[in-house]
Amino acid sequence: MKTVLITGGASGIGLATARRMALTMRVIIVDRDGARATRAAQELQDSGASAFAYAADVTKSDEITAMMAQAAREAGPIHAMFCNAGVSMKQPVHKISEADWDLMIKTHVKGVFLCTRAVLPQMCERREGVIVTTGSDYSVRGKTDGAAYAAAKTAIYSLTKSLALEFAPFNIRCNSVGPGPIETPMLRAGRTEEEWAPIRTARAAQVPMGRLGQPEEVASVVDFLLSDRSSYITGQIIHPNGAQISW
Amino acid sequence: MSAAASKGAVIVTGAASGIGFATTQLLLAQGYRVVGCDLARGRLAERDSADLHFDALDVRDAAALHASVTAEAARGHAITGLVACAGIITRTPYLELDEETFDRHLDVNLKGPLFACQAVLPAMRRQGKGSIVLFSSSIARSGSAHGAHYAASKGGVLGLARSLALETAREGVRVNVISPGVTDTPMPRGHASDEEVYAKAAKVPLGRIGQPDDMAQAVLFLLSDDSSYVTGQDLRVSGGANLF
Repeated sequence: MKTVLITGGASGIGLATARRMALTMRVIIVDRDGARATRAAQELQDSGASAFAYAADVTKSDEITAMMAQAAREAGPIHAMFCNAGVSMKQPVHKISEADWDLMIKTHVKGVFLCTRAVLPQMCERREGVIVTTGSDYSVRGKTDGAAYAAAKTAIYSLTKSLALEFAPFNIRCNSVGPGPIETPMLRAGRTEEEWAPIRTARAAQVPMGRLGQPEEVASVVDFLLSDRSSYITGQIIHPNGAQISW
Repeated sequence: MSAAASKGAVIVTGAASGIGFATTQLLLAQGYRVVGCDLARGRLAERDSADLHFDALDVRDAAALHASVTAEAARGHAITGLVACAGIITRTPYLELDEETFDRHLDVNLKGPLFACQAVLPAMRRQGKGSIVLFSSSIARSGSAHGAHYAASKGGVLGLARSLALETAREGVRVNVISPGVTDTPMPRGHASDEEVYAKAAKVPLGRIGQPDDMAQAVLFLLSDDSSYVTGQDLRVSGGANLF
């Protein structure tokens, strides 16, 4: 059985993907929140899947190094990685603090760098591997009050394409998924159902398809990109976004 | 109910060879019913399946496409998919490009998909469900010396598909595009030797040219509910070539 490591795997798109991948693979859930990761892995184990949970912050190279070493000992080789950890921020550009800017870039861009750098050596050795990163359709169309987020997500695309080119000779594929408005805890941002319902309706009206996407509809795209069904696809972005942008 | 009855029928144009034939094979194996359309039966003669129906037609003939869809519906099958693979390519220096050659490429490669979409849309709208996959090409973006007419027709497919995707987004009908790179089919053999076709692998990051089945797998993904929130998109199945 092959193993996939998912960062940001304890909620939203990451958790939906963990559930989907657990049908065919061993799943390692990595999350900043160790308790949340453990709960998610427990759920997968309860359904009969093989799952591991580790707490690590993708912005911290020592935590990633330690986590990868522990995962290698306990879960074995890692064949696939879904770099999905992310945070959102809504601020007009002139009000973004330098610390917030750095957090955005560190979480998304440096996070993907640190995690892929940690897993690529073993993938190169096996001459087989597949990586998927999470972008956003904001990176293509820009976002008012979302400059830092959009910039960070666009950087993920450039990074992913460069990885695709550099590691294609090692039979390692690297692609991105670029979700549109997906009904995740990130989008709901802690709102109650009562607060959220009218926002959901308003957001849905802006999407050509007329509805928000569900995390499972991103997970099924990630599953495609992680599987041999996409064996000739690398350096690409698939946007599950209800036609919000065509790219 | 048979598997094909539940997954419905997919109209595949250009089904007799190359990517269309590989797609037909994969869809049949996955339990879809296929209406294979092409000028002649070609490789479809190799397949004997109760779930495969062949219609001899030219995609420039809108009436023939409508008749094919109507007949399939009359046989009791829901039309749930369209895969428009039919296409032509010749190599012609720009100043030698005559009007007939230009028109023929635009007619087969762009007007053909338009007619095919128009043929299946009424049924898909009634069902509130359908998935359409059109074929563009890496050349739509990269351009191609001696291929301006082909590039123009395939660029047109992107605009056609994106617009149709917006028009049908709220009706349960998804429209997406696949843009292959060089693929191991009869098409490039019209102007290149086997050796020349395989030599193109040197420019592909993954080190090989595409196989028809690579494209068929992408078609299957776009037809299936795995891509239920994906519409108006262009999936580039190119081994990492042309990353823009």
